Amino acid sequence: MSYYDIDAILTDAEQKKVPCKFELDVPELGYLDNNPSQPLKAGTSIGLPLWLAEPLALTSRSPNNPEDSSSSFVTLDLPPSLSNEVMSALKADPRAVPLRDQSHNFYGLGTRMLDVFEEAEICAILRRTFVTRAADIALHARKAGATEDMGVGAGEEFLRGLEEWERKLFRKAHEGAKGTKEWMERVKKY
Amino acid sequence: MYGDLGNKLVQHAKRTQNLSHLPPYQTELVRAVTREVRDLDKDVADLLEPFQGSFNPANDQATACTLLVNHLSMRRNKRCLLAYHRTRADRLEELVWKGYDVVDLAGQQVRDGQGGFNGPPGMATGNGGTSSLSPQEEDYVRQYSDLLAAYKGQWTDIDLTGSLEPPRDLFIDVRVLKDAGEIQTEYGAITLTKNSQFYVRQGDVERLIAQGYLQKLS
Repeated sequence: MSYYDIDAILTDAEQKKVPCKFELDVPELGYLDNNPSQPLKAGTSIGLPLWLAEPLALTSRSPNNPEDSSSSFVTLDLPPSLSNEVMSALKADPRAVPLRDQSHNFYGLGTRMLDVFEEAEICAILRRTFVTRAADIALHARKAGATEDMGVGAGEEFLRGLEEWERKLFRKAHEGAKGTKEWMERVKKY
Repeated sequence: MYGDLGNKLVQHAKRTQNLSHLPPYQTELVRAVTREVRDLDKDVADLLEPFQGSFNPANDQATACTLLVNHLSMRRNKRCLLAYHRTRADRLEELVWKGYDVVDLAGQQVRDGQGGFNGPPGMATGNGGTSSLSPQEEDYVRQYSDLLAAYKGQWTDIDLTGSLEPPRDLFIDVRVLKDAGEIQTEYGAITLTKNSQFYVRQGDVERLIAQGYLQKLS
């Protein structure tokens, strides 16, 4: 992941924010809770974008005694996109879930969260989801190239449920199939 | 919230990646983000002022938290700004390598008042009247072109930016889209006036086609 990677930057600012619980009173940060005149109370739960939530959760409050590593400014929770409901839906049938509605960069978000959380099950589900869906994407990408008459509407309906990484895969697969076809035709000509 | 404007800028960059032309530079947005950084920096300075350089985060955790949030917001804005400009600079370099006369193209479409419909898909101006490049970007393009020219100059018998497609015919028909003056070829000089048609050697006019002066007729 590069510093300049546009998709990585957008993943860090997903619309669905990461729920954070503040562990201490902060007088100046009321604006984070849409309440600039009031201090932010300990125990308040607010959604923060990932770029703010992760470093806040990983920074130790008292750098002078490393034994007390458990104390940070906020405690993270799993974002709604990775909640139990979504996970059980994915477990039932990965192809039936429009991932884009959960998050535009669903896998990116998952990877980032799994860096922080120890969740072997989510990891396994995400992996299985990607493999199952990737096969489906490859199939659609080939079909969209082979037959011109495949309605534009059907293709778009399928694309709508794909998140950013999957769309990229779709485009690559589509271009690959198209490129091969063009090359084959040129070979025949000479 | 802090960082929202920077995010907008990155979304512009994302859109730029999927476009064939370069959309106008977001002067206002860039200015707003830099202003936000300056405000945050002032906040940090104000917060630290009473401590006179002896701030201990462990003793005053609330302030430490505020400082951290401010710092992270600034860092975030910096990343958004850099990524936005890098995306555009990459695109500009690509255009220079393809041989488009980027600065000229941007300026001339302003004069036409619309995106060029018969020129190469280089530039387009959204809010007619100004160039889609910032002054710094124009400068960058100019210097990058010079650099590329100097680099290419080392190998005079290979055209590094030439087309990779082998030519089918040595001579081609071209139509002149706009006056390009007189050019010298092996077979003498040709004066290219608008709307005239010529049968010329492809190698002589390749550059002019790329720049949008001529159109190749098949």
